[in-house]
Amino acid sequence: MTRVAPDAPARRSLLGDARRGKLADNVVAFGRALRRAGVPLDAARIALAQQALQCVGVERRGDVAAALEAVLVSREQDRAVFRELFDAFFRDPDLAHKLLAQMLPRAEAPAAPPPQRPRVREALQPPRPPGAAPRTQPDQSVDLDAAMTASERVRLRQADFNQLSASEYTLVERLVRDIALAVPEVRARRTRAGWRGPRVHWGRTLQGAAHSGGEVMALHRLQRRRQPLPLLLLVDVSGSMERYARLLLAFLHAATRQVQGQRVRRDVFTFGTRLTDLTAAFRLSDTDAMLQQAGGAIEDFAGGTRLGDSLATLRQRHARRLVGRRTLVLIVSDGLDTGEPQVLARELTWLRRHTRRLLWLNPLLRFDGYTPSARGAAVLHRACDGMLAVHNISRLHDLARGIAQILKT
Amino acid sequence: MPPIPAPAAPTPLASIDALIAALQTVGYYADRRLATAVFLALRLQRPLLLEGEPGVGKTELAKALAQVLGRELLRLQCYDGLEQREALYEWNYAAQLLHLRAAEGRGTVEEAEREVYQPHYLIRRPLLQALQAPAPGAVLLIDEVDRADEPFEAFLLEYLGEYQVSIPELGTVRAVATPLTVLTSNRTRELNDAVKRRCLYHWLDYPERERELAIVRARVPEAPAALAEQVAGFVHRLRSAPYAGHFQRAPGIAESVEWAKALVALDALLLDPEVVQSTAGVLFKQREDVAALSTELITEALSPEGA
Repeated sequence: MTRVAPDAPARRSLLGDARRGKLADNVVAFGRALRRAGVPLDAARIALAQQALQCVGVERRGDVAAALEAVLVSREQDRAVFRELFDAFFRDPDLAHKLLAQMLPRAEAPAAPPPQRPRVREALQPPRPPGAAPRTQPDQSVDLDAAMTASERVRLRQADFNQLSASEYTLVERLVRDIALAVPEVRARRTRAGWRGPRVHWGRTLQGAAHSGGEVMALHRLQRRRQPLPLLLLVDVSGSMERYARLLLAFLHAATRQVQGQRVRRDVFTFGTRLTDLTAAFRLSDTDAMLQQAGGAIEDFAGGTRLGDSLATLRQRHARRLVGRRTLVLIVSDGLDTGEPQVLARELTWLRRHTRRLLWLNPLLRFDGYTPSARGAAVLHRACDGMLAVHNISRLHDLARGIAQILKT
Repeated sequence: MPPIPAPAAPTPLASIDALIAALQTVGYYADRRLATAVFLALRLQRPLLLEGEPGVGKTELAKALAQVLGRELLRLQCYDGLEQREALYEWNYAAQLLHLRAAEGRGTVEEAEREVYQPHYLIRRPLLQALQAPAPGAVLLIDEVDRADEPFEAFLLEYLGEYQVSIPELGTVRAVATPLTVLTSNRTRELNDAVKRRCLYHWLDYPERERELAIVRARVPEAPAALAEQVAGFVHRLRSAPYAGHFQRAPGIAESVEWAKALVALDALLLDPEVVQSTAGVLFKQREDVAALSTELITEALSPEGA
């Protein structure tokens, strides 16, 4: 049934007449534009959107917007894009057609694009051929004698993470194979059949009983499964850690793959003067792809360190990722913090209260007999459940072993 | 898609306006966008995924809908480690064992098995109950689905797509009438895209000031009009730009209603910084947030003009 009354010409003005297929065309075109703006959509959704419009009718613009949004959007972050695009698209039929024409490749006379956010604007423009603007990336040179001092200035620099060279790739893979990261396990709430455990697996037991004429020969049990603890990785990408960041991220990515395989949370952030969320990048299975995305995301590469402020951001924006207070936090940092020690202490206390363990891997230590006396380092040392100082981590190998070692404690 | 059934004339299903009005009679003030999403979920027979901050009325919506539609509300509270036997069905093993004992010596093993696996011995959990609910169907609330783990989500995917489950010993159970399914999520993690694709999506925002006032008035009728007005205005301001940055978690609707009740209990006629501070524990549940609610901040937020 359709709610578009046949004798209501006014209702056709917004989206055209459903029976003549204009509505369908417009919805399809709108869906295409949305997809170009990065909203994940498939053909089934668009078909559903048309059904939805038939249900609510097209008399009221607000209803059309709400109906399309309910069907076409499935993430909170897409809502703003949807609304702007909807406004641009359905402001009036003429503009919609102009935009439609504009979306076709080779369209002439580009109408003035509405002042919208870049994603929306791009979606309304003819598609660019892929690979148009390759980024040139300078080689990352590893200079082992660079002075290790944290910059006081807020320096914003995009991290240029090259893809792994063949030798680096084999190195990372070999390390992952040789040095097993033992992510501690806990007993999960889920169970599996077994022979020990407090609860009886009645289904299994009964199956056995049915085969022996109702006689219970053995009691099968429900055993709690084991699963690794959720991981939260906090990696320092400030100036003093600059040289390690790329390979360290590559190693962590490859080494915690098994955790990801078991569908346990793995949240990854880098920090320098600000906090960058790399969780999505780490979800990519390919390490090169991860490095590329990470390089694009990190904006404070090789700058100063403000761990306290970064942790405050973590608390304010991402606190809900620390579900159940059983996350294992691994901080890889030299502890040369330039922020306020009080802030750092407060944030670390908060983090500790909301996680299971807080581990700190400190790779600064080039000197034997180092004690964490720098301001930030002292605070970190007090707050952490475990600290491991790795002397001389000129090789990724030592760093990897350090991480494995501290996870065992 | 099955043909969409024509609704009977006076039901809340007739139009979006009728749905809004019906929800209002049970004390749920939905805005038009939300009502449109619900309306579509009913018409297109799709599950509705609600996301939003805690305390914006996600669970309440399902309750209100059950009341309005005259359907049974079945609630599945998700938690870490939720398994199929707690969500779908489980055999009543103790009874089965008794049966086997009683039938001992009679009949063959196959007969015993057949007798034991009767619907009679089945313990129905919410998801199965929702399929078997009679004619108008049930309202199925799958609460905090983000707390369950991903294998459960994969199972849910199948369930929401077909509305049928197969019980190996009994065969396939199909929905008598498609339940109206409402999923809620607090976004502790992103849900699987495939699950989202099955659902209509609505992000529930904090209500605008007028709607919150209406909710407070409806829920706390004994509150003086001026006080309700102040409560709605104050909470609304705490959630908006300059103030929201001070707090980890802004108070939800549930909190403002509770707060209004608390103020009534204290015989407060108007808000002043002292009263606000002494009842801050109703609005905020974190020590840092309570501490952030300083006297200056309260005075500023209470001042009539400025936002």
